[in-house]
Amino acid sequence: MKVAVIGYAVSNLEWDAEKTREETVFEVAKSALENAGVSREDVGTVISASTDFLDGRTISNCMLIGGGGAYLKDESKAEEDGMYAALYAAQRLMAGVHDIALAVSHTHSWIFNPHQVSQYMLEPWFDRQNDLINGITLAALQARMYMEKHGVDELDLAEVCVKNLRNAAKVPYALRKLHDITVEEILESEMFSDPLTELMIAPPCDGAAAVVLASENVAEEICENPVWIKGIGNSCDNYLRDRDLAKLNSLEIAARKAYRMAGIEEPFREVDVAEITERFAHQELMAYEALSFCREGKGRVLIEEGMTEVYGDMPVNPSGGALAGDPICATGMIRLIEAAKQIRGEAENQVDGCRTALAHAQWGLCAQKNLVFILGDEP
Amino acid sequence: MGVVRYEGLPFVARFRWNTGKIMEKFYGGFAERQILAAKCENCGYTVVPPRVICPKCSSKMNENNLVKLDGRGVVLSYTVVRKKLDGKGGFVTLDKPEVIAAVKLNGADSMIFAKIGDVDVEDIKSGMEVVPVWAEKPEGRLSDLLYFRPG
Repeated sequence: MKVAVIGYAVSNLEWDAEKTREETVFEVAKSALENAGVSREDVGTVISASTDFLDGRTISNCMLIGGGGAYLKDESKAEEDGMYAALYAAQRLMAGVHDIALAVSHTHSWIFNPHQVSQYMLEPWFDRQNDLINGITLAALQARMYMEKHGVDELDLAEVCVKNLRNAAKVPYALRKLHDITVEEILESEMFSDPLTELMIAPPCDGAAAVVLASENVAEEICENPVWIKGIGNSCDNYLRDRDLAKLNSLEIAARKAYRMAGIEEPFREVDVAEITERFAHQELMAYEALSFCREGKGRVLIEEGMTEVYGDMPVNPSGGALAGDPICATGMIRLIEAAKQIRGEAENQVDGCRTALAHAQWGLCAQKNLVFILGDEP
Repeated sequence: MGVVRYEGLPFVARFRWNTGKIMEKFYGGFAERQILAAKCENCGYTVVPPRVICPKCSSKMNENNLVKLDGRGVVLSYTVVRKKLDGKGGFVTLDKPEVIAAVKLNGADSMIFAKIGDVDVEDIKSGMEVVPVWAEKPEGRLSDLLYFRPG
């Protein structure tokens, strides 16, 4: 059974949104259904993505069921990125249980600092007892390990930020829109944990996203230009003490699975655009390698030569990526939506002749878990 | 534009976890200024702090798998922390930056994350050898291991 994305919506990404979580989710769910041209009654299953820890309430989906139009439907939840909600929904459609699914995701970071919450992902008896260890300081350790291994410097990291934040300037909903930002300004922004400065760290914010998926039974009837899911790959690495932090092994495995399913042999040539979740600048370079856009250790060459600019040979994050705004659970789902927009020719920074797009979501400390979707314009 | 905000009730979650036998021994070893790891009999992977399931091959391990490490290690990566979280979601700028490092202890395959002290932040380098600094009177608690220093 083939599955397609037939509708989507993204909320404004902002800090301290003057809207309740339920309102935000309601608005994106409604907009996505309108975008798809279906009604709430047509939807068979609704999957939401939010996390109890970030939301400050247990069973954080319970109050999103109304907003997501899920009452009396086959409802469930993914406690991580919204792209996992889309995966869950796609699997339900592939199983032939439903024909139309809605996946919604949100995080309101204003509620409580997600970086503080990252400490609760640590093993409690040793790592969590060290008050200096959190998502940012661990990412800094990962950055230095990767950079020293492959001769990457702070300028390369800053180039990633400049590319993404300039791209974001054209994206209406983005949080950090900095069309004239320079490498110097990135390097001179406040140092958090070296080598990571403030602008190299994805800014947690408030936001929501929704996608409507349809099975091949109905997708073409309902939608003029469905975007087909051609490949899916998911992989979770060891706990961070037992991983090689200088390499995104689980992303490499996830990508390999997704490429195989989509019949892609040469990613650099066959993938027209990639939308990835780079929570920290160095992770974008690491992802180039894990996604086989270049050989291991050569990620910096792609950024130095401008290959991942919108006009480059392998555009990455024309939407600005996570560095332009990180509504945690919605961030990966927004990558999926931006990848779908590229195939439909609707993106703000449109890549010419885009027929195959890659979307990536991550979860966990130092990108422990990774999910890759390959989208295409044909079933 | 003011909106009404609801502040959570004062609620502090001081969770208490059973550490399990193997971690009990690990903490106990600190009383003798000793760091214990678990060596998997099946695949040979040595993990510190010790675990009851081998992270590489998922074999079951117990106290019989414990081995003593000499405590020395090598810095694999480090970061100078300028902003610390205050436990309530706020960032605090440190007057005196602190250093944490990913350290590979001799004889272990996994790494640990530890504070590094007795060193100028400019002098710390990857590949530097470090040794543990213990509390004056160790009592078999996690707090006995103060930090690592070059040595």
